[in-house]
Formats: sequence, structure tokens, C-alpha cells
Amino acid sequence: MSLSIAQPISFYDSKKGLYSWIFSTDHKRIGLLYFYAISGFFLVAVALGVLMRLELIAPGKTIMEAKTYNQVFTLHGVIMIFLFLIPSVPAVFGNFFLPIMIGTDDVAFPKVNLLSWWLYVIGGLFALSTLIVGKGAADTGWTFYAPYSVRTGTNVTLAVLAAFILGFSSILTGLNFIVTIHRLRSPKMGWFQMPLFSWALYATAWIQVLATPIIGITLLMIAAERVFGLGLFDPSLGGDPILYQHLFWIYSHPAVYIMVLPAMGLISEMIPTFAKRTIFGYKAIAYSSLAIAFIGYFVWGHHMFTSGMSGPARIIFSILTFLVAVPSAIKVFNWVATLYKGSILIKTPLLFSLAFIFQFLIGGLTGLVVGALATDVHLHDTYFVVGHFHYVMFGGAGFGFFGALHYWFPKMFGKMYREKTAQTAFTFMFIGFNMLYFPMLILGIMGMPRRYYDYLPEFTTLNVISTVGSWILATGIIIMVVNLIQSARKGEKAPENPWGGTTLEWQTASPPSLHNFDREPVISPNGPYDHS
Amino acid sequence: MFSNASNFVQGVDLTFAIILGASVFFLVTITAVMIWFVIRYNRKRNPVATQFHGNNKLEILWTIIPTLLVLVMFYFGWAGFKPMRDIPADAIPIIAHAQMWQWNFEYANGKTADSLVVPVGKAVKIDLNSRDVVHSLYIPAFRIKEDVVPGRTNRMWFIANEVDKYHIFCAEYCGDRHSNMLSKVVVLPEDEYTKWYNDTLSLASMHPGLVALKKNACITCHSLDGIKIVGPSFKGIWGRSETVVTGDQEREIIVDEAYITHSLIDPNADVVKGYNKGLMISYKEILSEQDIKDIIEYIKTLK
Amino acid sequence: MSEFILVNSGHNRDDEASKLGMWLFLFTELLLFGGLFLVYSIYRYLNADAFLHASYNLNVIMGTVNTVVLLTSSWTVAMSVTAMQKGNINLSVKLIYATIFFALVFLVIKFFEWSAKIEHGLFPGMEHLNQLEPGSKLFFFLYYFMTGLHGLHVIVGGIILGFVLFAIRKKRTNPGKYMFLENAALYWHLVDVIWIFLFPLFYLIH
Ligand code: HEA
Ligand code: HEA
Ligand code: HEC
Ligand code: CUA
Ligand SMILES: [Cu+2]
Repeated sequence: MSLSIAQPISFYDSKKGLYSWIFSTDHKRIGLLYFYAISGFFLVAVALGVLMRLELIAPGKTIMEAKTYNQVFTLHGVIMIFLFLIPSVPAVFGNFFLPIMIGTDDVAFPKVNLLSWWLYVIGGLFALSTLIVGKGAADTGWTFYAPYSVRTGTNVTLAVLAAFILGFSSILTGLNFIVTIHRLRSPKMGWFQMPLFSWALYATAWIQVLATPIIGITLLMIAAERVFGLGLFDPSLGGDPILYQHLFWIYSHPAVYIMVLPAMGLISEMIPTFAKRTIFGYKAIAYSSLAIAFIGYFVWGHHMFTSGMSGPARIIFSILTFLVAVPSAIKVFNWVATLYKGSILIKTPLLFSLAFIFQFLIGGLTGLVVGALATDVHLHDTYFVVGHFHYVMFGGAGFGFFGALHYWFPKMFGKMYREKTAQTAFTFMFIGFNMLYFPMLILGIMGMPRRYYDYLPEFTTLNVISTVGSWILATGIIIMVVNLIQSARKGEKAPENPWGGTTLEWQTASPPSLHNFDREPVISPNGPYDHS
Repeated sequence: MFSNASNFVQGVDLTFAIILGASVFFLVTITAVMIWFVIRYNRKRNPVATQFHGNNKLEILWTIIPTLLVLVMFYFGWAGFKPMRDIPADAIPIIAHAQMWQWNFEYANGKTADSLVVPVGKAVKIDLNSRDVVHSLYIPAFRIKEDVVPGRTNRMWFIANEVDKYHIFCAEYCGDRHSNMLSKVVVLPEDEYTKWYNDTLSLASMHPGLVALKKNACITCHSLDGIKIVGPSFKGIWGRSETVVTGDQEREIIVDEAYITHSLIDPNADVVKGYNKGLMISYKEILSEQDIKDIIEYIKTLK
Repeated sequence: MSEFILVNSGHNRDDEASKLGMWLFLFTELLLFGGLFLVYSIYRYLNADAFLHASYNLNVIMGTVNTVVLLTSSWTVAMSVTAMQKGNINLSVKLIYATIFFALVFLVIKFFEWSAKIEHGLFPGMEHLNQLEPGSKLFFFLYYFMTGLHGLHVIVGGIILGFVLFAIRKKRTNPGKYMFLENAALYWHLVDVIWIFLFPLFYLIH
């Protein structure tokens, strides 16, 4: 009898109804709220991406006007960056799993957590409302470069305010995680017994807190220029457009590490589990997260090598850019070494992790190409850069996100997904992805500039290949989404620990009960990946 | 091995080749090792994993080697870039004016052209000047690019080594027709260049108003044949009555001399209904009174 | 169901955590203004003379009075926290009212200052400002933007103190549990500190 009494109710069943969700302060529910909202925005932006590729299948006009195209890539970039990738891993998996992984029952400030979700939703609605209100969506690119962003008639003010609100949401999440890790870690868990995912979130949270205010104020200045006619960055009124670019990238470069560090944390979780091994070089991975976060602050100038910066500034930014690549390389080496002499189980999350490593390598190595002064002069603002960042952002962070979605699916939804279908989806995505983005690297080397609605005939073949790739990728994503939805509805019931993981979330029910743990979690003194 | 289009191609392509070589090596090795591990230590083949926590020697090794490698990469990148900054004193000076969405090149003798004509084998220096937003002058074949920033003058230079024609792109997003802001570099043998340079007459046969329209990139936004581009077409506007928005008020005006002059000096005061404010800049400092007169005369002819 | 409670539960009261959180938040606020100070210093470096000329248009007396007002309010709010700690709720409430009063005085003075400028046509887009040299224009853009943003912070700080009053009435903030008041006071000190930087940068550069 005692068994059935000890069987606790899951956090899904503890309360019902819409209000119990949208005003919930439970970290798991907030994580899921983020998940639904983020997935919605992601699908919108992905559809915009497919439309862009359709337009680019041939030179000249195919399906839309130049102005529409410009608005489409702006909205695509804004949603992908501010609404999908920056919040994605921390807000979904961080919220859901961070407290569990460090053995506590919630984040430090549950109400602030809810507030940041609401800010996220409001910011998202602001961004989407630019489509309907005023003179159309912003057409500036996600970088909002002045003075074009001050001159254009489109709805830049609203878009900029959206990014401002989203930044605020991101700050609150980061702040919450820092305090949570400092104050709520289980007393039996030292810093170096934390799972590496928490380390990644910790490093990320610091970037969120320290870098986001700068973009907040910069975007506010753009809004003030448009609304009140201030001329802070408009040369015709005395301002300096290059100063805007500096301020923008002081945030936006660290922001790319906000996007990728948590995903790297995910890889550091999945690989030990499926290799049934302790992670190789725990401390090296933990410290390299901090190193990336730290050096990442001082490299922003590499986005401006052709803007007329002074020679010494270019040299310093280039050297630092190269140095920030080293900790990433260390992580890659350690992950691969973790596979050595493991006992490897090939499941979808592992496949996504391996694809992450491969694609992140291509993305990172192309990053080195644009980090070098001579080559960046040639490749800046060409499709090479577009290829580079899709490889790191989508091929890296995005694939990491999808991998973790499969990895933790049993824990989050209490059901198993269908393995075969998931692997089919993965295959389509992997092939489609590389077919979509690899040609872009070559196009860039040939000299095709980015943000081009129209292009010269000699670029046609590669653009067609790329567009076809986007259809294959789309097929893969659709299969994955359908599979996950069906599995969440009708899948087999998930056991507590389907993969044999060693971190604390696998010591809770699937899905966990409201207060996460139903028995005192056992924390191994040998670190979080104790498979012996 | 590399093309010889300009004096920078070598340095840039060498850097690229070096980084590419290292990249291919790492990509192929790491991927191969990874796949081999997954096959060799598959759970079927190797049911029990061996546990070990790391190896400090290895960590140091794979920190130091990449660090050294990236420093080498940096060095080549810098070496390829450095000459781009050292502009020879005797370079031929040209000013490139960028404006939504047209390039205009001005030579020392006042001659202007919409493509960049240069002599082969001679250093050419270009001062970059923008009249509105940020643009970027990009000549892929020469491996050079520099932003054209309003309010400051950036510079670039090159020596073209072969008689040929190359594309010029605008590489910084600048609005609707950014992807149509194209031009050409025309590299001529020295004597032909000199002849071209000294021939300032050919423009004289054109209507001076049309010259002014072309030179100031008016026709990138205003067509001469009735098609709407960004602003209203000039065809048939003379003497027409149309609705403009002044502040928040709509009013009727007749397009006459005073109105056109006002449109050039303060374009955002009266905005033609259905068009956007803020796109056309003020030409107060740019056009002379004579230019404006010529333009008006020319517009009168566009019936 | 057996009761099982984690020692490190997020639902335990943890004053240290609130304080840490608040400090982090204040830090982000400082960085927000830090960005502006950066812009200010760069433009001032590039347009030293023009900034100097423009600063003569500001009213040093009003600025000084406002500085005194804010410093006093910082003192009253600090006293209010001490009073609460000592259990003197009544005094604490009165001191909060005093702080809010000073906030209003500050805003009223600011209002008169801005209106005087605007009457002289010194607002973006207005005749007089357009005729100034570019550097002086920048000075005024920054002046409006930075003092305006600071003014917003004064308003927000006042509203937060209003909420504290409400919490005290509801007995949710009391001598045994005064983190809310303490954090609100910290926020108020931040507002004060930022003004301490703004004042010399705009009013006292000659
Ligand atoms: C997730 C996001 C992400 C990440 C992680 C990165 C990572 C890196 N990025 Fe990228 N980048 C972007 C997102 C990202 N970037 C975006 C969005 C833009 C465009 C913005 C815009 O203009 O719109 C951009 C643009 C961009 C530019 C500007 C290009 C231009 O516009 O001219 C540069 C230039 O230096 C650069 C460099 C780098 C480098 C050196 C890294 C490094 O951190 C990569 C390090 C990784 C590795 C090196 C791989 C591991 C390698 C090994 C294991 C092999 C051995 C390694 C060595 C020998 C070192 N990036
Ligand atoms: C995480 C970030 C992320 C991701 C995942 C993507 C995903 C994609 N992007 Fe990306 N992209 C950016 C971030 C990202 N992008 C950024 C930041 C820019 C710069 C913007 C700027 O310049 O300002 C950019 C710019 C950019 C360009 C350059 C535009 C230009 O310079 O002119 C192109 C061109 O092809 C492109 C294409 C795509 C495509 C085809 C996808 C693919 O993902 C799409 C694959 C398609 C699918 C997976 C479809 C699956 C689903 C459906 C079709 C169903 C839809 C259904 C419903 C909505 C119900 N993007
Ligand atoms: C970047 C685009 C752009 C350029 C370049 C440009 N214009 Fe315009 N112009 C516009 C737009 C948009 C309008 C309509 C809105 C308005 O009236 O301000 C306009 C309006 C006008 C009008 C009023 C037309 C009418 O129907 O009432 C005239 C005259 C004019 N432009 C002349 C010129 C001349 C001459 C030049 C070059 C010296 C020029 N424009 C360059 C965009 C441009
Ligand atoms: Cu000019 Cu893009
Ligand atoms: Cu960067």
C-alpha cells in the first residue's frame, strides 16, 4: 500500500486549466510555456526562411517585391535571434532542468521567472505587430544600422522596442539563474560536482546580465531618434553612425555566445550518457565556458573590419577573435575523447550531438576565415558570412536544441518518442541542412553579397541547390514535429531513466512531481557523470 | 596559382588557402575519429565502458597547438591586409560618391562617370563619400571592400593588373534597391585611359538637365518613362496638379518651378501622397542653382 | 504522502538571495547608463568646445537645488530602513512619504527646467537648436535623453516606494521582514548616484 501512497502526482496534474499555466510560477511549467511560445515563433521564422529561398531560386523577381524581401529577412533574423535562439536553451531547458539538476525545487525568484515569460510574450507580440501596424515591418536587417534605420518609413520603432523588451526578459532570466546556482545548489554539491549544463548556463547568465543592457540603451536611442528627432547617430545632425555599430556589436557579439554556450552544455550532457562514460576533461570544459564568456566581450570589432576602423584596433580585434576560438576547440576535443572506450548507444539525441560537432566545426572554422583580416575584407557581408552563422547557429545551437528535445522528451512529457521516425527525420535534416548552407559558403567566396534580392546570373546554380536543400530540411523538420506531437499524445509511457543518465533529473519521476523530488536525491561524490 | 587581377589577390588568397588547409585537416580528422569511435566502441562491440576522467598532458597539448595555429593564421591575415592600408602617395585620386542606389565616380579634372575607369598597372586611390546612408564599395575580383559612411571619408586603393572588366557591388544593406546598386570597373591600357580621361566633351551632347539627373542619382528613384520606382516618375509631372501631405494636412499643388525647387531643398516638407517621407535627401548643398534650372528645363521636356 | 522537504528549497525565505538579485539588477541599470556615459564621453571628446558652449545654456542653480533634493531623499530613505529595522514602523512610513515628496519636488523642478529650454526653442527639431553647431546639438540630444531617462527612473522609484507603503499597511513588510523596503531603498540610491554623475557632466563642465 505504501507504494501507491508514495506515488506522487506529476506537475501536470497538480492543477488544471489555462490560468494555472499562464500564471504558474513552477519552473517546469514556465519552461514548457517558453517551449510552446518559442516553437510558435520558430515556425513563423522558418516559414519566412523558406519564402526567402523561394525568392532566391532565380535572379529577378520570383514571388515578392524587393521591399517585401527586405522586410522578410529582417523579421526572419529578428525572430531567429531575439525570439528563438537567445531564449531557446536557457529559457526552455534551463528553466525546466536547472533546478532539478542542482537538486532543488525551483529557481530563486519564481515570480520574476513568470514575469520574464510575460515580457517575452509581449516582446514577441510587439515584433509581430509590426506586420500589421503602421507602414509595414522594419526593413533594416536585424542589425538596425543607422542612419538607414532612422530614415526608412517602415515600423522600426516598434521592432526596436520589441527587441528592448525581449532584452529585459533575457536579463531577468540570467539574473535568476545566477542567484539560483549560488544559493540553491544542493549543499552536497560543490561547484565542480555540478553538471556541465549548469556551468554553461552560469557562464551564459553572466553574459546576459552584463551585455544586454548595452543593446537596450542603444536600441532606445534609435527609437528616440525616430520619435523625437534626436540625432545621436545621424551624421546630418552631428552623430556618428560608426558609434552605433560599436554599441550594437558590443552586445551582439557576446550574444552569439549566449546562443551557443548553453547548447554546448547540452552536448556535454548527452555524450556521457550515450557513451556510458564520465566526461573527459570536466574542468577543461567548465573553464572553457567561462573563458569563452570572458574573451567574447572583447572581440566585437570583427564585425566592423571594413568600416574604417584604425589599423591597431583591427589587429587587436583580430587576435582576440582567434583566441576566443581556442576554448571552443578544447570543448570539441574533449567531447570526441569522451567517446573513446565508451559503450556507445546510438539514439537520436546522440545523432544530433554528432551532427552538432560536425556542423559546429564547419561553422567555427569558417569563423576563423572571417576572423583573419585579409580574408574578412573580401568575405564581409557576403553569403560566406550567412553560411558561417547558419552553420553555428542552426547547425550548432539549433541541432543541439533538437537533440536535447529528444533527450529530455521522456522527462518533460512522460512519453517515449518513436525512435525510427526520429532517425528518419534526423537524416532528412542533416542532408537538407548541408545542402542548404554549404553552397552559400561557395557563393560568398565567389563574391555574392548578402541581403541581395536580386543577383547576377552566374550565381544561379548554387542558389537553386540551396533552395532545394531548404525543401529537404523542411521535410525533415515536419517529420520531426509530427513525430513529437504524436508521441506526446499516444507514445509509450516513459520510465524514470530511459537512457541510464546519471544527473539528478533522472532520479525524478517522468514527468516530475510538483516539487521535483520524491526522495532525497543521491549525489555522487565522484562528480555528475559517475557511470561506474 | 592565384588570379592576378589586383595587387591584393595573392595576400588574401594565400591566407584563405592556409586557413582552409588547416580547417579541412581538422574537419576531416575529427569527423573520421568521431565516426570510428562510434563504430568501434558501439555498445554491441564494447558492452562495458572504461572510465577515466581526463589527461592533463592532452589538455595542454590541445590548448597550445590550436593557439599557435591561430596565431599563424592571424599573422597571414594581417600580412595580407597591411598593404591595403599603405596608400602610395602618387596614386591617381578618384572620389566615389555613393547614394541610394547609384555609384558615381569623380575624377581630378571634374569628369564624372557611373563606372570606375582606371588604367592598368597604376595605383588608384579612392575616397569614399556617402550622401545618405552607409554603403560599401566591393570589388570581389580585387578582394577589396570598404564601407562608405556618411560624415566621414574612408579610403581604399588598388593596382589593377589586367585589362578587363569587373563587377562592383554595394555590400552594405542600404534599402530597397541595394541589390541593384551595381557598377563596373573598366581597366584600360594606359593610353586609352589617358584619352578617355581627357575627353570631357562626350557629355556635352546630352541635355545638361539629364546630366545633372544622372550625376546625382535622381534616376535611380525617379524614372523618365512613367514607371514608379521609389519616387514618382518625372514623366508628365510638369504642370500637373497633385495631392501632397504637408505636416498632417493634405493639400493640392501644381508642379511648377517653385514647387520643384522646394522639393529639392526640403523634400520632406511636402510629401507626395502615397510615397514615403525620409527617403529623398535635401540637395540644398549638392545642386547649384544652375543645376536646378537645368533639371527643371529637362523635366519640362518629359511630356 | 510523506512530507519531504529539501533543505535548499527555492520556497524558503532567503534574504541573501534577494539582496544578490537586487545587486545584479542594479548592476544592469548601471550598465544601461554606462552605455550612455560612453556615448557622452566619446562625443564630448570629439566636440569639446561645442559641449562647453552648450552647457552655458543650462541653469546651474536649478541643477544644484535638484542635487540637494535628491541627496536629502536618499538620506530619508536610508533612515526609513533603519527605523524599520529598529521596529519604528510609524517613523519609517513618514520617512518614505518624505522621500516620495522629494521625488515630486525633483520632477517639478525638472519640468520647469525643460519648459524653459523648450520656450527658447532648444528642443530637437526646433528652430534655435537647428541653428547650433553639430556638437552643441549632440549635447542637447544627450541632455534630453539622459535626464529624461533618469527622470523615468525617478518616477519608477517613486512608484516602487508607493508599493512599499502598501506592503507595510498590509503588514507584509514589517520589522521582521523588510527586504522589500531595503531593496526599494537600494534602487533609490541608484537613482541618486546616477544623478550625481549626470549633474557635473551636464551642468559643471566649464
Ligand atoms: C551561435 C552563434 C555564433 C558562434 C558560436 C560564432 C562563432 C564564431 N564566429 Fe561568428 N557570427 C555569428 C554567429 C556566431 N559566430 C553571426 C550571427 C554573425 C553575423 C552577424 C551579422 O552580420 O548579421 C557572425 C559573424 C562573424 C564574423 C564577422 C563576419 C563579417 O561580417 O565580416 C566573424 C569575424 O571574425 C566571426 C567569427 C567567429 C569566430 C572566430 C567564432 C568562433 O567562436 C568559432 C570557434 C570554433 C571553432 C574554431 C571550431 C572548433 C575547431 C576545432 C576543434 C579545430 C581546431 C581549431 C583551431 C585550429 C582553432 N563571426
Ligand atoms: C537560429 C537562427 C536561424 C535559423 C534556424 C535560420 C534558418 C533559415 N534561414 Fe536564416 N538567418 C538568420 C538566422 C537563422 N536562419 C539570421 C540572423 C539572418 C540574418 C538576417 C539579416 O541579414 O538581417 C538570416 C538570413 C538568412 C538568409 C540571407 C538573406 C539575405 O542576406 O538576403 C537566408 C537566405 O537564404 C536565410 C535562409 C534560411 C533558411 C532557408 C532557413 C531554414 O531554417 C529554413 C528551413 C526550413 C524549414 C525547416 C521549414 C520547416 C517547416 C515548415 C515549412 C512549416 C511551416 C509551417 C507553418 C508555419 C505552419 N536566412
Ligand atoms: C532615394 C530615392 C530618391 C532620390 C535619389 C531622389 N528622389 Fe526625388 N523623391 C523621392 C521620393 C520617395 C519622393 C516622394 C516623396 C516626397 O515628395 O518627398 C520624391 C519626390 C520628388 C519630387 C516631387 C515629385 C512630385 O511628383 O511632386 C521631385 C521634383 C523630386 N523628387 C526630384 C528629385 C531630383 C531632381 C533628384 C536628384 C537630384 C531626386 N529627386 C532624387 C525619392 C528620391
Ligand atoms: Cu548601397 Cu547597398
Ligand atoms: Cu562576432
